[in-house]
Amino acid sequence: MEEPAWADWIRERDHPKTAGSRAEALGDITVLDLSSKNFAGCYCSSMLAEFGAEVLRVEPPEGDFIRACTPYGILHEGEGLNYLSEGRNKFHITLNLGKPEAREILKGLAAQADVLIETYRPGVMDDWGVGYEELRKINPRLIFASITAYGQFGPLSLSRMPDYDNIVQARSAAQYDTGEIMPEGKSYDECPWAIPTKAGPWIGWVEAGTFMAVGILAALHWREMTGEGQALDVACVEAYASIEDWAAVWYQGAGVINERFGSLNTAGWLYCFAPTKDGAVFLGGLRLEMWQAFADMVGKWDEWGAASWKDLSLFTEKEEQLKWASLVFAETSKYTNEELVGMSVEYARKGRLAPITPVVAPVCSPEEAIHDANWLDRGIFAPVKDPVYGELIVAQAQYKMTETPIRTKWVCRPVGYDNEHIYLKYMGFGPLRLKELKEAGIL
Amino acid sequence: MAEGTWKDYREKKHSKPLPLQGIRVLEVCTLVLGPSGTGFLSRMGAEVIKCEMPPLGDTLRSLVPFGYWFREQCTSFIRPNPNKYWLGLDLHKAEGQEVFRELAAKADIIEENQRPGVMERWNVGYRQIKEINPDIIYISKTGFGQWGQYARENRPSNDGAAQAMSGYAWMSSFPGQRPIKSRLYICDSYGALIGEVAVLAALHYRERTGKGQFIELSQCESIMRTMSWVWPYQHVTGRPAMPAGNRDVSICPADTFRCSDDMFLALAAPNPQEFRGLCIAMERPELADDPRFADHLTRLQEENATEILRIVADWVRTKTPEEIEGLAEKHGFAASRLYTIKDVVEDRHFRERGFVTEVDDPLLGEFLDYEFPVMMSKSPPRVSWSIRPVGFDNEYVMTHRLGKSEDDIKQLYECGALGKWADVLGRRPPSGWDGKAGLIMARD
Repeated sequence: MEEPAWADWIRERDHPKTAGSRAEALGDITVLDLSSKNFAGCYCSSMLAEFGAEVLRVEPPEGDFIRACTPYGILHEGEGLNYLSEGRNKFHITLNLGKPEAREILKGLAAQADVLIETYRPGVMDDWGVGYEELRKINPRLIFASITAYGQFGPLSLSRMPDYDNIVQARSAAQYDTGEIMPEGKSYDECPWAIPTKAGPWIGWVEAGTFMAVGILAALHWREMTGEGQALDVACVEAYASIEDWAAVWYQGAGVINERFGSLNTAGWLYCFAPTKDGAVFLGGLRLEMWQAFADMVGKWDEWGAASWKDLSLFTEKEEQLKWASLVFAETSKYTNEELVGMSVEYARKGRLAPITPVVAPVCSPEEAIHDANWLDRGIFAPVKDPVYGELIVAQAQYKMTETPIRTKWVCRPVGYDNEHIYLKYMGFGPLRLKELKEAGIL
Repeated sequence: MAEGTWKDYREKKHSKPLPLQGIRVLEVCTLVLGPSGTGFLSRMGAEVIKCEMPPLGDTLRSLVPFGYWFREQCTSFIRPNPNKYWLGLDLHKAEGQEVFRELAAKADIIEENQRPGVMERWNVGYRQIKEINPDIIYISKTGFGQWGQYARENRPSNDGAAQAMSGYAWMSSFPGQRPIKSRLYICDSYGALIGEVAVLAALHYRERTGKGQFIELSQCESIMRTMSWVWPYQHVTGRPAMPAGNRDVSICPADTFRCSDDMFLALAAPNPQEFRGLCIAMERPELADDPRFADHLTRLQEENATEILRIVADWVRTKTPEEIEGLAEKHGFAASRLYTIKDVVEDRHFRERGFVTEVDDPLLGEFLDYEFPVMMSKSPPRVSWSIRPVGFDNEYVMTHRLGKSEDDIKQLYECGALGKWADVLGRRPPSGWDGKAGLIMARD
């Protein structure tokens, strides 16, 4: 099939291959990232560093604990794999904030920064004399961004509990109602997988970090208008809880507590994972015509009476969903993933309801995804040649843009790798001064 | 914690400015990926005009949990769509396209999530709009982007397709079991959110240079971006990444455990102090110095991780969630029972912070919504009003924004460019509506 002119036109202008030579949206912004054993903060500063912000990643002399949070304890060139993915484009410096002299240096950096990101427990920065209310006196334009488990105020803000992704997922209600339904007559001991199930990726932290990036950019706009900085507060649990779309409304209206519904969807049909000969596919048909197209595609137009369906509300009740799911699964089990995907693409061309067609998407492992020609073509897994860590694949280029595309210049840096350059540039510390500060345990 | 800064934040948020006041946004979006993104902007004070195809509008208006409608409105429609202006505009019609172009000439941002090429067919694609507004920031959000094989095949997409194709669902399951779909529209919501990072970065660039641009977002690529270690792991080790149920394979111990009352609890205690705190709480202080567990990297190794998780599981099985939470607070590690939606809505902390907030809406009545989860000390985002029927604000937008006369508007209705709601649940006003409440113009 011929590619539409629009696709050619835009591909030429926003392909990530051309990103390196373009302007950077945040090239004028300096960010201090003080994140401490918290991936949300690291991810937040990555969002800004991808757009060219100069991010100074401040770590204690021994490095941040988050570097040691890596799957199965695996290191690559001495670096944890999560941190390796989120050190991108950042300059790495050390500063021992336990020492008063170090805090004076931090004030000097904060005086020259646009944004400060920190994840210490509420009150720690204040106790050190480098909280928002101190730093705003030095730099009234500073945007002071705090990311913590429960936020800067409210009864739980004084909790001693640290912030971890699995706790965020647990506390937000999204884990409670995700997972397999317990098969009838079975127990947790027999089916230890039929329980509330969290997401594998650090999505709780990532949501919090991304929300904060959005907040910081909005605060930058507001600063353009008014000249004033401000304090921002993200509680990770709220950030992840906030993306829930209907259960809270359902509860307040009807008193219903949403429960697990496997890979079906309580709030819509057709919308589920369905088993196939060689795995599973996602099926989506949230408009009546798409659901009818599915019935037609698997040859059940007449038998299921698809022509007589008037709207989808019939199918969304729980018992109806379970009944129809078993009918649908019986059909999908006759085909492979590839066959079903092909049937859907074909139906869009020649089906009775074409171009309407159901969404059919294979359930892929990351192993399949990383080799998918479509993604390789789009540059999301283009290897980065890092001067320290060699060639590495991290996900990148998640948006394509015509003027200021994001890019990955390097993936990571060892602890304190940029002390010389950054302290010279911002604080005027030459080699002699730097040596003194290191020996005094300040850097 | 800057006590002075946050004092009375909740009480005073409505008497402070909004961070995106004055930014004008046009939305041609349906379901969640599109509308959630502009919903973040409207919570921060941007003026969002939501264009829907009359008379049925957004597909999301039909999607309700097990047939439950909230005060005759769509339960799922509320969260992504606060503070918007509602325009019933038929973009298939030349007159409708002309109205859109007039609005676009005055807009800062356009957001759409039609399939690739559709906006161009309607004469309101990026290439056409930039001719009349070269500074426009224009974002197109789809499953697979604007180009490449899947876009060329014109594949439709949903959140669930992105969960499936990215490997996200695969990684969010128990080993050897079927992959589980998150019950959140996670790839929609996340794609919407990260899209706004690009939009606002582009806005910053425009403020410096005067230049607008086009942004292309794929919800699949967005969610892949969140999967951190998975990609370098496969590249470096040559092994496929595998799911691990509720266990966090990068943090140890971090897992979900079953308590004595069969309730579930998440617990994490990886760093040295936290781990020691946990060992003391378990009355097994010697474990903190055990060579298998003392160092985090060693503890993360499969055999050691399995062993310490077994020890923790056995201990948690003898306690209630409340007991463990108390010990966690005392000894400085992290633990939380699994919150249900009731727990979130009724949580005192969320209420006192104003995250769970009361909205007094002229159409919907009083209800609870979630506030934008970035609290901003000087320019607090907030929800002021809720969803409206299709085309509810037509007169306001036409008069106030475009200066149309009553005759102009009448003509637009007659040719079908403008339209209002169908007499269908989820599209029309609640049955007790007095014909006036919530309307800005033309209340008679």
